[in-house]
Amino acid sequence: MGKRFLKFEFLLLLAVFTIATCGLVYELVAGTLASYLLGDSVKQFSFIIGVYLFSMGVGSYFSKFLQRNMLNTFIEIEILVGLIGGLSSVILFLLFESVHYFQFILYFLVFITGCLVGLEIPLLMNILKDRVKFRDLVSNVFTFDYIGALLASILFPLVLVPQLGVMRTSLFFGMINVSIAIVLCFLLKSELKKVYLLKAKAIGSFVLLLVVFIFSDSILSFSEGKLYGENIVYSSSTPYQRIVLTHNKSDYRLYLNNNLQFSSADEYRYHEALVHPVMAMAPKAENVLVLGGGDGLAVREILKYKEVKTITLVDLDEGMTKLFKTNTILTDLNKQSLVNPKVKVLNQDAYIWAKDCIQKFDVVIVDFPDPSNYSLGKLYSLNFYKTLHQVLSKDAVVVVQTTSPYFAPKSFWCINKTMMEVFPQVDAYHAYVPSFGEWGFTIAAKSFATNFNTVNREVKGLRFYNYQFEKLNYFSKDMISKDIEINRLDNQVLVRYFDEEWGKL
Amino acid sequence: MRNGENYNSRRTFLKGIAASLLLLPMLQSCKERVIALLIRLSGTNHILGHRLWVKNFPKPTRQIHIPYLIIGGGISGLSAARQFRKKGISDFLVLELENHLGGNSSNGENQFSKFPLGAHYLPLPNFHDKALLQFLEEEKVILGYDTKGFPEFDEAQLTFTPQERLFYKNDWQEGLVPKYGNSITDEREFQVFFSKMDYFRETKGADGKYLFDIPLANSSRDVETIKLDSITMKQWLDENQLTSGPLIAYVDYCCRDDFGLGVDYVSAWAGIHYFAGRKHNVTSDGKENVLTWPEGNARLATHLKKYSNGKTLKSHLAYEVKIEGDKTVVHAFDDMKKESVEIIADKVVLATPQFINQHLLENRKHIAREFHYAPWLLATLTVSDLTDNYSYPLCWDNVIHGSKGLGYIYDQHQSVRQVQSKKVITYYYSFSSSDIRKSRRTLYKQKKEHWKQMVFDDLKMAHPDIEGKTEEISIHLLGHGMISPVPGFLFGAAKKEAAKSIENKIFFAHSDLAGISIFEEAFHQGINVVNTILDGTTLDS
Repeated sequence: MGKRFLKFEFLLLLAVFTIATCGLVYELVAGTLASYLLGDSVKQFSFIIGVYLFSMGVGSYFSKFLQRNMLNTFIEIEILVGLIGGLSSVILFLLFESVHYFQFILYFLVFITGCLVGLEIPLLMNILKDRVKFRDLVSNVFTFDYIGALLASILFPLVLVPQLGVMRTSLFFGMINVSIAIVLCFLLKSELKKVYLLKAKAIGSFVLLLVVFIFSDSILSFSEGKLYGENIVYSSSTPYQRIVLTHNKSDYRLYLNNNLQFSSADEYRYHEALVHPVMAMAPKAENVLVLGGGDGLAVREILKYKEVKTITLVDLDEGMTKLFKTNTILTDLNKQSLVNPKVKVLNQDAYIWAKDCIQKFDVVIVDFPDPSNYSLGKLYSLNFYKTLHQVLSKDAVVVVQTTSPYFAPKSFWCINKTMMEVFPQVDAYHAYVPSFGEWGFTIAAKSFATNFNTVNREVKGLRFYNYQFEKLNYFSKDMISKDIEINRLDNQVLVRYFDEEWGKL
Repeated sequence: MRNGENYNSRRTFLKGIAASLLLLPMLQSCKERVIALLIRLSGTNHILGHRLWVKNFPKPTRQIHIPYLIIGGGISGLSAARQFRKKGISDFLVLELENHLGGNSSNGENQFSKFPLGAHYLPLPNFHDKALLQFLEEEKVILGYDTKGFPEFDEAQLTFTPQERLFYKNDWQEGLVPKYGNSITDEREFQVFFSKMDYFRETKGADGKYLFDIPLANSSRDVETIKLDSITMKQWLDENQLTSGPLIAYVDYCCRDDFGLGVDYVSAWAGIHYFAGRKHNVTSDGKENVLTWPEGNARLATHLKKYSNGKTLKSHLAYEVKIEGDKTVVHAFDDMKKESVEIIADKVVLATPQFINQHLLENRKHIAREFHYAPWLLATLTVSDLTDNYSYPLCWDNVIHGSKGLGYIYDQHQSVRQVQSKKVITYYYSFSSSDIRKSRRTLYKQKKEHWKQMVFDDLKMAHPDIEGKTEEISIHLLGHGMISPVPGFLFGAAKKEAAKSIENKIFFAHSDLAGISIFEEAFHQGINVVNTILDGTTLDS
């Protein structure tokens, strides 16, 4: 009898230990997810811990109303904690993209988990109060509770998140939770009522968690968590795209629809290469047009030239330009270029805008996203460049970011060839940007007289470009492609080339 | 024990209630904002048209004298007006029953896009169709000619890529011919079919004419080929042992799309003409493409309209055409002023279909009886989102295999805009059956809710949530959508008789006289009728 009793007590204390560990893990998962997805980790962790502790209190209070079938209820709660806690991260990941009241669901889940965990300890003490001396009971239960908590808080950042990731950690602990319930079901079957139903519930829940655990990779690819190895400091969805800003050591990275837009560590290479060659060779540079480039980084470079009187930036996404006018991390990066009085920001569709535009520009800088779909492909079509031609002043020059000549040579030279149909002079150059790889640009002049090697103006203090265009103008054999078609609206060959070339990677 | 159990389950039940009470507001806010679906119904003015049956019009109170009168402001009428102007004649009038010109090449427009109310594209013309090429050049659809003499079409008026996709076996694939999911037999039969079509396309008869050409009248009179007009397309497929399900479905789709009737009802000659009439020889690479605009062929109608500017009487229904002495007297009802007008002309062009002509002229019922017109239904949907399984991106033309309809056109496809806040699509449906009259009665009898549901049910095959995503639906009914070339019609007596001019005073021009309802035919009908009239005039004087 005494031996059996010891086993009973030991089992339940093991359960306490597990509950405590799992409970804290769920809390940490919620906090981590909240700060990943919503930013401001101090606030998120603080609120989550507060809500969690409070809800444990709520749970403890209600525990006094549970008086019948306490052991059954205990196991049931154990299953429920495992299920809700285990699935919480999955639910939060999946809902984050599509739900406006995400925070409500987040705190709701934290509250429920807290309540259930809060119920368990008092319930357990009630179960054991007649079997164990009260003094021993209290000391044992709380000892195990706090050891569990310590274990969880050490394991979580050091082992669990790096090894399993956030989602699988919570699922894994959900399974541990439920498996304790299963073990209790089998070992304490004489103490339990309706043990088969209980077993079925427990095993069913375990299987569910296991299935989700196995498929967690595909769930993850559904959401974006896996894409970013770094901490997300800002994310928002505009009607046009999903903007995510991440931070890792001293590097900020901006992703648009999961495509890297820039890394603060090396964006200067990209933007100097984009802006300065064309600014240097332009016969005149008073009125500058930027299409795309809502990050204001190209504008920052243009503003270095005193000759520039106006800069017109046309970017579709108001959310993007607003962010780069207001977010302090980002305005530090673009040197507040978008709020400069010389700069006019227009949130319009560049193609449509250009069709209706009557103003003429001396320099045009086109910094659109890569032609990865048929919509974007239109912005690299023959018809687009014809349209663009109409907004150019007499000796205007144009530069277009034209993807990587190394990874996508066909795409790169396709744009080049398409522009040759419209402009009398077209040339290409490239620069190495570590976070992108070898990146290329196409440059075009409206006048035959323009010499791409001329330097009409220059500024001091550039880190990458030294005003020697010919240095960037050489292409090795592996960046050349021949036999390519012109990209037209009615063939969109560029999108096919692009898909073929980047799809290989 | 029992008691306890009850208590337990009741508590579980109460817990459930509590949980659902908590969840309810969440679920409610989760539901998308329910927008009352707006349904509109429009169509050709059949109410006014049907007054031709009883002719209860007031007596004419006014007279108009005009040398040339064109009745009908569709493509053939407008093309005739253009040809008059080209020949230096501007004393003509165009009479139109509707309150707008264009006929089958009309369009609608909503807040987000223009959309077609009928014909919506023009395939690249044949290289030898110089009249059409010239028109396209005048209207800057052709921007010039390259060094090899090939026309250079305006990129923005050619269908943008991606052009067509087919929903087949639960996936979208590029093009209208299924590429994936076919059996080996299917593959082989498609190959056999297309090589036969290549033969028909390239071959000329003993008379030196193409076996199949556009305008149809220029086709060879090769006896063996003309025999194809006596059987249905399905019979021809059977005779050639082409029995693959996907192939028949594809050919059936093409026939319904161009003639309103499927393979079981349409003449084999016509069915083959669909594939063989166009030579794909107008571009250097021989690629197929079509010219299209958000408003469909209403764009072409607009180009033509300028030739009859200020010479048009809209909402005028001609109801009687008679020869009196050396004049032709036309009575027409002005639906705006509710009065009739008498127009006295030297020559009259009836650019009207034969189901109208039988009411304007005497003794033409027996002719009209041989002309079959398939009813059509178009539905333009404004949707907040057009979600599907993204197996191939949204195209200009989107066809669902196994659907009763003809799929839909994405009306904003020719826009260069990056993002559309709402998408506008136009769904096409032709009533392909052996009893066209019955279909026509059904078309007008059923309520708009019925048609709305039919459209949704058909589109749901590829877009399960389309009903919830649709904010507005405009249904357009065309009682006589287009001429349907049933066997024996194209080379039959009725067609010939219907085209014969009367006493060098009344002339006929309409695509139904060509036998197939395509822009090119109507366009040439208009040109030819004017040339005939003016040649006759020259002879007279």
